[in-house]
Amino acid sequence: MRAGSFVLAFALLASVTNVLPSRATNEAVSQGALAHGGAYLVERDPGVAEAAVELWFRAPSDGYDASTPGIAQLAAVAVAAVPLAAGRSLVDFLQAVGGRFSVNVYPDMVAVSATVPASAARRTIATMTAAYFAPTVSDDSLKTAQQDAAVLGIERKYSAALALHDLAFQQLFAGGPAHQSPLPESDAQITAVSRGAVDAFAKRAFRASNALLAVAGNVEASAIDAVTDGTLGTMDSPYDSPLASSPQDISQNGSVDGIGLAWAGPPIVDEKAATAMDFINDYLFRDDSGTLQRTLDAAGSSTALSGQFVTLHDPGVMIVTISGPNADATRTGVLAAIASLNRPMDAATFAAAQQAFVYHCLSDAQTPQAAADNLGWYGTEGNAAYAPGIPDGTYVRDALALDPDYVAGIARTYLKAPVVVRLVTATAKGSAS
Amino acid sequence: MLAFAATVVASAQTPSPTLSNSAGVIIVRQPDDAASLTGVDLFVRAGLDRQTLAQNGLAALTAQSILETPVTIGTSGTTLPLETAAAAMGGSVSFDVGGRSVRFYVEGGSGGSGALVAVFAQALGTPAFDATTLHAARLALGRKIAQTEQVPLLVGLEMLDRQFFTDANAGLPQDGTATSLAQFVSADVRGFYVRNYRRGGAVVSAVGAPAILASGILERLAGVLPAGSSSAIVAKVPALRGASREMIAHRDIGAPWMVAQFPAPAFGSKNFGAMLVLAELMNRGLAEAAQVPNVISRTISENAVGSIYNFDQRPANLVIYVDGGLGDASSTFSNTLAFVKVIDMVKLTGSFGEFKALAQGDYIANATRLSDRAMLAGEFAMDGGSADYLNGALAAIAAVTPADVQRVARTYLGNPVIALIVPREAGSQ
Repeated sequence: MRAGSFVLAFALLASVTNVLPSRATNEAVSQGALAHGGAYLVERDPGVAEAAVELWFRAPSDGYDASTPGIAQLAAVAVAAVPLAAGRSLVDFLQAVGGRFSVNVYPDMVAVSATVPASAARRTIATMTAAYFAPTVSDDSLKTAQQDAAVLGIERKYSAALALHDLAFQQLFAGGPAHQSPLPESDAQITAVSRGAVDAFAKRAFRASNALLAVAGNVEASAIDAVTDGTLGTMDSPYDSPLASSPQDISQNGSVDGIGLAWAGPPIVDEKAATAMDFINDYLFRDDSGTLQRTLDAAGSSTALSGQFVTLHDPGVMIVTISGPNADATRTGVLAAIASLNRPMDAATFAAAQQAFVYHCLSDAQTPQAAADNLGWYGTEGNAAYAPGIPDGTYVRDALALDPDYVAGIARTYLKAPVVVRLVTATAKGSAS
Repeated sequence: MLAFAATVVASAQTPSPTLSNSAGVIIVRQPDDAASLTGVDLFVRAGLDRQTLAQNGLAALTAQSILETPVTIGTSGTTLPLETAAAAMGGSVSFDVGGRSVRFYVEGGSGGSGALVAVFAQALGTPAFDATTLHAARLALGRKIAQTEQVPLLVGLEMLDRQFFTDANAGLPQDGTATSLAQFVSADVRGFYVRNYRRGGAVVSAVGAPAILASGILERLAGVLPAGSSSAIVAKVPALRGASREMIAHRDIGAPWMVAQFPAPAFGSKNFGAMLVLAELMNRGLAEAAQVPNVISRTISENAVGSIYNFDQRPANLVIYVDGGLGDASSTFSNTLAFVKVIDMVKLTGSFGEFKALAQGDYIANATRLSDRAMLAGEFAMDGGSADYLNGALAAIAAVTPADVQRVARTYLGNPVIALIVPREAGSQ
């Protein structure tokens, strides 16, 4: 068994460069400063007919005084809905060119994203930056944002993965934006925020100088010239949240049942450690191929299991959520699998998992939107060169530099006892009793 | 609502696929030196229509057995099942059984794609159909079938397809059923393989690094299949009769779903562009009929209603679906059907610019992954036509007039067949 494994490992390690793309990073991604403040990253792919245009801002989701949970969400949507000089809003413009728009708010960042036919990329860059770099909020656009937030809030409440994610972050962090849900949690919170407050937040958060413009797809880097708005300045420092000194497990009533596990992980600057956490996540939890997912599939289980290492400025977070039948037994299996990683994996298993991991990384980043998401997220968290999917970028090099001993060391360092959170519905409570 | 006259995209500004022929197999290439990965599709005329009724699942079992076939990787002589080997080599291999063809898709890092396609060719040319391999294939298909059963939309599609494809067995369940799979022995699978895994009608469609695409691996893959061709099994599936044209299935789900199917024009038709625009119009109308909250952010509920235009199927069809859990199920379903009825009766006026733009945007968005690009080019090339799946479709959408949409609605949206998937009652089987 060992001998066979060794031979396999040798064969795989010998071909470890199979997954390496052939382009140099400087050919793949253009980057620089915008003329009127802010920075840009452009990853060009002339083989597709689509472009993704995204603006990323560093901003606390609960406001600059930490008193208004969800204000970043309200501001980002309200700005997109307000008519611009040409008489139509950014959202209207995108519909007219066949594009799709989305807003994603994280504890420490706001992302607005559009995917459009490539021929509309330049106009989208111009319109999106015009909307956000000189933001205004009207009564009507705020109402639209409030309605939007109410719908999203209900969906989040009934999504086991998202509800458990919020609760786990609340326990893991003592304060800061990561301690709060990035969405308003109640109608009262939604309506309590005044237009003036939203407008002021938008003007501070969505400054050009606080922005990273991430563009990917069939678009020339010269399209960046379409940005005509903005003012020079500097980007805010990252909005990190302090960890709880001794985070407590919690069980509370919810709209869904489930268990969440969370561990604080390495900061983004520790690339190799963060990549090792991603590797562990990929090996255990990836849909279809993760070892724990395959175990559940083989057993015909309908338990929903998901894992993610959230790469943040400092610290990152590994989070696992479990819902559906047999959640407790699955939790036991998850913890046992993670504990087993404290010892180095055998060479053959590791080599195969490493090849698969690098492939997954490249495969996941192949659409313009995924590429722009990576550029925006990693750039805003402070390490653009580490964005997964950049051909010959540091992420792939870090992934190929992992070895079984290093991964085991990272598991021992970061994946000790997790914070355990549990949501219980009234029905489940009744059944249990 | 139709106030904006969109600037319609005239061209995708992407290189068109090129076509060649190797030993009777069509080879489609889309060189892309920006792609980190290379994807290769192989279409073989060994799909559902090659099965008799009693062979339900045999196409999938044959394809899955190829994925389970042990292959040798590297120079060490180590053997692993193809699917496992592909993962260990930094790639993936999968298949999808369609009405006419089974489509294998191989994807990997550009540096290792040659080796990956070579191991796939190894399994394709010398597949294992022994009892152990068949057992593993049955287990894998069994898991897929069980997962499909949990998804109301897929349950509804299977029900509808069974009655829609009346000239062959192309409407049989993609992966068969647990019962049908259990009856096949090695000789059945080998017989299906020998009869149908031929070069006739096969297509290789690849996207990725130009050097890989020009290296000869595609021709070598095409050469693995023996010469000759196979024919569809002639079958006459009785058309659904009766006034209601409704089918009902019970599943362990939380809320009822309605799925309805209409005939539709294929992608070569003059009505192709108009149906793409009509599908967008229906998406909007269905969302309003189902009272999907009209918000800016993407929401989970917007995925619970919509349309799927299966233009690559023969015959092509349009499917609409509604999750009754969005509100009052009966009124949601009746509003939806009322909307469908109205759209082919009222006179459509005004600007369709927005819907045309959305149709173009959606079409482009569904052609960005390597697997989608390879699949679309292969499907378009399969019948001897151009492999340019993009520019022609965008031009067709740009040329659509309201009268075209009206005509297509009247032609195709007459009398749908409806599948209702409803929650199983407690204690029922």
